[in-house]
Amino acid sequence: MLNSAAQNATAAAPLRRPRSLLRDTLQRLTKDVFVVICAVYLAALLVIAIAPGVFAPVGYAVTDFPEKFQPPGTVATQGTLAGHTYWMGSDKLGRDILSRLIYGTRVSMAVALMGASISFVIGITYGLVAGYSSKHVDNFMMRIVDIIYAYPTLILIILLQVYLTTLAQKPPDEMGAFGQLVVTIDNASGGLFFVFVAIGVVSWLNMARLVRGQTLHYRQQEFVQAARVVGAKDQRIMGRHLLPNIIGPCIVAETLAIPTYIYTEAFLSFIGLGIQPPLPSWGSMIADGYGAMRTAPWVLFFPAIALSLTMLAFNFLGDALRDALDPKTRK
Amino acid sequence: MIRLIVRRLLWFIPVFFVVTGITFVTMHALPGGPFDKEKTPPAMVQQMENAFGLNRPVYEQYFIWLGNAARLNFGPSLALRGKPVAGFLLPGLAVSVQLGIMALLFAFAVGLPAGIIAAYHRGRWQDRTATLVAILGVSIPAIVLGPLLVWVFGLWLDWLPVAQWEPLTEGFWPWLSHLILPAITLGAGISAIVARLTRASLLQVLNEDYIRTAHAKGLPRQLVTMRHALRNALIPIVTYIGPLTAAVITGSLVVEQVFAIPGMGRYFVTSITSRDYPMVMAVVVIYAMVIVLANLSVDILYIFIDPRISDAE
Amino acid sequence: MRKFLWLVPILGLLLVLAAGCTAAPAPAASTGDAAPQAASGEPITVRVSTIAEPSTLDPNLAEDTYSITPIEQLFLGLTNLNNETGVPEPELAESWTVSDDGLTWTFNLRKDAVWSDGNPVTAKDVEYSVKRAVKPETASPYAYVLYLIKNAQAINQTVLPTDTYDIDTLGVKAVDDYTVQFELEAPAAYFESISSMWTLRPVPSWVIEEFGDAWTDPANIVVNGPYLLKEWKPAEQLVFEKNPTYFKKDDVQIDRVELDVISDQNTELALYESGDIDVAGDNAGSFPIEALTRIRSDATLSAELHEGPRASTTYVGFTMTKPPFDNVLVRKAFSAAIDRATMVKDVVGTGVPATQFAPKGIFGAPDPEVGIASDVEQAKAWLAEAGYPDGEGFPTVTYRYFSSTLEEALAQALQAMWKENLNVDVQLESMEFPAFLASTAATVPVEEMPEMWRLGWGADYPDENNWVYEVFHCTDSQNRPCAECTEADELAKAAGRETDSAKRIEMYRQVEEMMFGDEVRVAPYYHRGFTILAKPYIERAYPAFAPPNWDTWRVNQ
Repeated sequence: MLNSAAQNATAAAPLRRPRSLLRDTLQRLTKDVFVVICAVYLAALLVIAIAPGVFAPVGYAVTDFPEKFQPPGTVATQGTLAGHTYWMGSDKLGRDILSRLIYGTRVSMAVALMGASISFVIGITYGLVAGYSSKHVDNFMMRIVDIIYAYPTLILIILLQVYLTTLAQKPPDEMGAFGQLVVTIDNASGGLFFVFVAIGVVSWLNMARLVRGQTLHYRQQEFVQAARVVGAKDQRIMGRHLLPNIIGPCIVAETLAIPTYIYTEAFLSFIGLGIQPPLPSWGSMIADGYGAMRTAPWVLFFPAIALSLTMLAFNFLGDALRDALDPKTRK
Repeated sequence: MIRLIVRRLLWFIPVFFVVTGITFVTMHALPGGPFDKEKTPPAMVQQMENAFGLNRPVYEQYFIWLGNAARLNFGPSLALRGKPVAGFLLPGLAVSVQLGIMALLFAFAVGLPAGIIAAYHRGRWQDRTATLVAILGVSIPAIVLGPLLVWVFGLWLDWLPVAQWEPLTEGFWPWLSHLILPAITLGAGISAIVARLTRASLLQVLNEDYIRTAHAKGLPRQLVTMRHALRNALIPIVTYIGPLTAAVITGSLVVEQVFAIPGMGRYFVTSITSRDYPMVMAVVVIYAMVIVLANLSVDILYIFIDPRISDAE
Repeated sequence: MRKFLWLVPILGLLLVLAAGCTAAPAPAASTGDAAPQAASGEPITVRVSTIAEPSTLDPNLAEDTYSITPIEQLFLGLTNLNNETGVPEPELAESWTVSDDGLTWTFNLRKDAVWSDGNPVTAKDVEYSVKRAVKPETASPYAYVLYLIKNAQAINQTVLPTDTYDIDTLGVKAVDDYTVQFELEAPAAYFESISSMWTLRPVPSWVIEEFGDAWTDPANIVVNGPYLLKEWKPAEQLVFEKNPTYFKKDDVQIDRVELDVISDQNTELALYESGDIDVAGDNAGSFPIEALTRIRSDATLSAELHEGPRASTTYVGFTMTKPPFDNVLVRKAFSAAIDRATMVKDVVGTGVPATQFAPKGIFGAPDPEVGIASDVEQAKAWLAEAGYPDGEGFPTVTYRYFSSTLEEALAQALQAMWKENLNVDVQLESMEFPAFLASTAATVPVEEMPEMWRLGWGADYPDENNWVYEVFHCTDSQNRPCAECTEADELAKAAGRETDSAKRIEMYRQVEEMMFGDEVRVAPYYHRGFTILAKPYIERAYPAFAPPNWDTWRVNQ
């Protein structure tokens, strides 16, 4: 058994590693065609998100009221969009769903990636430290998590929103330095800054608990104790020995939380914190479309499919990444 | 273990004070009050706020609230005039707990086998299918899945009731039939998480040495899985599901709306948007208690699953 | 076999679920067309939905339609608004007279009305109720509609506990057991309408004094209307049964009404389609456009759909003290640029285009409508005249609304219409409802106000006084647009005191024209409508200005 502990302890250490971690990982990933397809799909989304105007047939805000709820393939006959073909149908204001889907990519991808990163970084750091510390520190840190968990975040969200809108009505010289900074950051993030803040406040809690539980489990194992015996520092043990062992379930849990972020954005925007209509996001298109499920299913179908496909791509990629990073399946 | 339980329950006291204090202060900082309506003249609003003591300083109101809460009196609702908040929350909680437990049962009944199968057939079609279904499960929100299930099973096939609630006292089948669709809607996302986490942590555990040793000793495969691997693989699931359980058994606004179920989840949102201060506070207290209990249960479960963790306590 | 044992519990559970799905006794087939109570002798039951739980069943405290509908069935008004015409008719009062100066109103009560505990309903109960509603301790949100009663305002606005009041100075008195007299502050022809309101309906003083806040619980409540409250399951259902002590009980056909709380309109529709409820949409806003589109294209549902106007108007408010909306030409342009017909037809799906504030049917509402009609060319001309030809140089302004799916659609439609017709950029801003109200109150400093915002109004009683005077009077109302006092305000006040109906109608026509045609304090753009689905066996009226009276409904066997 000690033998295996030593093997574990050195698995991720650079001493005996013949190849670089990055190249090794990439090599494992590209072996699977499926993974490559997923990667290409996500890359394509990224391109669309960066320059939606290039791909969208019409603007996201162009309304054509009499042409509401047209099925996919219909050619508009009247109003502002006369002559335009609704490839994915039209919504309740006669807008082109395809164009809105394309424009909505940016917000949803930004929220997915930023939300996941924020939650991942905070959650893993917090959970590792809590799980690895003494039981008193651990207890204290986890009770803080309980407190944030029990606090009704909606209150905070409304407060932030009111603060922001009051600020927005004021001329710049009356905002104060902090107010100006907030507005600048918010504008720079396309109005999503507070969405990130709101997601950041709550989304790491589950991750922190997961990491802490895993850390409690692994810190007692031989390879960690062995590392401690040879005099490794705490940070090193956490980063080099514990992290690679616990990261598998964390990646899985994180990718699964992405739809939550996308829907959180839709909800936040709905109550006024975040982007404002008519700018679309996938989340708000789905939230808007559910009522039309039996009237005009395409209003719901296309954004839901786009989101599901993206989630699939993230997950298959996440699986592959997990396999590639797992110290035990490495050679 | 008793020491753990006692210590954790003692920890509830500071958690209680911090959560209720922060909630109380921020809640009163929200613009608008419980009596602000489109039509009520400001002088009337003032009059009503005075009648309910809302014109006192916030800290004073907090101490009054604490005093009443200590006697388990959470006051009358402001939005539902004159009715004690407990009269809404307790029946609601009872409904939500039943629904939540059914949802969790569904989630584990589907998620665990799916995760195990996926792990065994890693990379093959069974795995991919399980992943596909799981991803659909988390990607489709309750607001879409609920009406979809209602449409298919309630209206089109006419197998199950469309919505609404029947208590168990009305008979087992009426009770269960009204629970199935909402429980699936509520549990779908969790079952996906269970399936994916089971797969991930099983794969991890299956590679560990004691499993290899067990294989080497010639133990049959399923037995090895159950006895050794699954037990360890459960740790991340239990950890992750613990606090989620608290959320599930205290109800979900969306599922309650879609299925017209009189649960407690609605009050998490409506109490805030109607500025029903006593209701907000009571909801927070109940939720904090459930969270603390859920996390305590998770830590107790650790002891059974992995005795080494208990050494840490 | 042993190695598969672990599968047993899982399979078992799946089996139970599967068995439940297939082998279940088919739920009692309730098809849409037959009345659910075929067998004679069974009580006739009707199931109705409400989108929100009643916030109270105490008439003195009620303020929302979800409370007022059940209160209408439980408690009798002095008068009742006829469900077909909206005109006050006798209910508890058999007749009423007004003194020549218009200040003293005398109501003669019928002598056969009794409370459900056997006590007679007397003038004392009316007096008690009015006094209770006005007392500041009661904190009644609707006390202000009683301010026309002598001394009501002074008493209601007493600051407790520093000041005191004498409730006996209030202008209401039981002359004898069956005569009640009101003294008013000023003549008010609309008092007849107000006397139908829930706020001053008689309540049982002895029950309130015994049980306090809990007096409306099903176990304690004592009522005098056509129905009794049998059960109240929070957030779930209220059950009503025919009141055997009601004086016209023989005219009541339906024995039992179940009022189900269903907060999602799509669920409401699904329950209606499955036959679980008989009437849908009665206690809710109109169905969303998605649902309406489907209902209208469905042969069965469209035949069961009833539509009509509600006494309610949605409008765009302007901050009249903030540039560029301090310029009346800009306000006129923005009002004329709204394509009202499209709003009603394609965005909301129901309702009536509006250019004035009060809808037809409200006493005094001009017919045909006055105000600014939708006219793109005229709108462009006005904006050019204001100094912004083709929107040139017009700043980006904000339209604020509250978070709701309908309001979000309306806001986007307004934005698109202003962009297309005036070439101006309007930013949208959504806010949670109470925060929205607080942020657009008349007391908010002008630099924090958005330039435009959404508001609406629904009738408390069907008279123009409740509209132009109580909403827009420059000093006596909230005056959210912060308008300065003009001739229109004086006229609105005078019209309320005028006793000659013909003169009142003409005065209100002028007020509407001045406020919304000349000054453009706000831009009304549609009167809301109701969309109600009722099974073919339900025969009933669809009132525009009053809560429905279940006692007049019929179920055709």
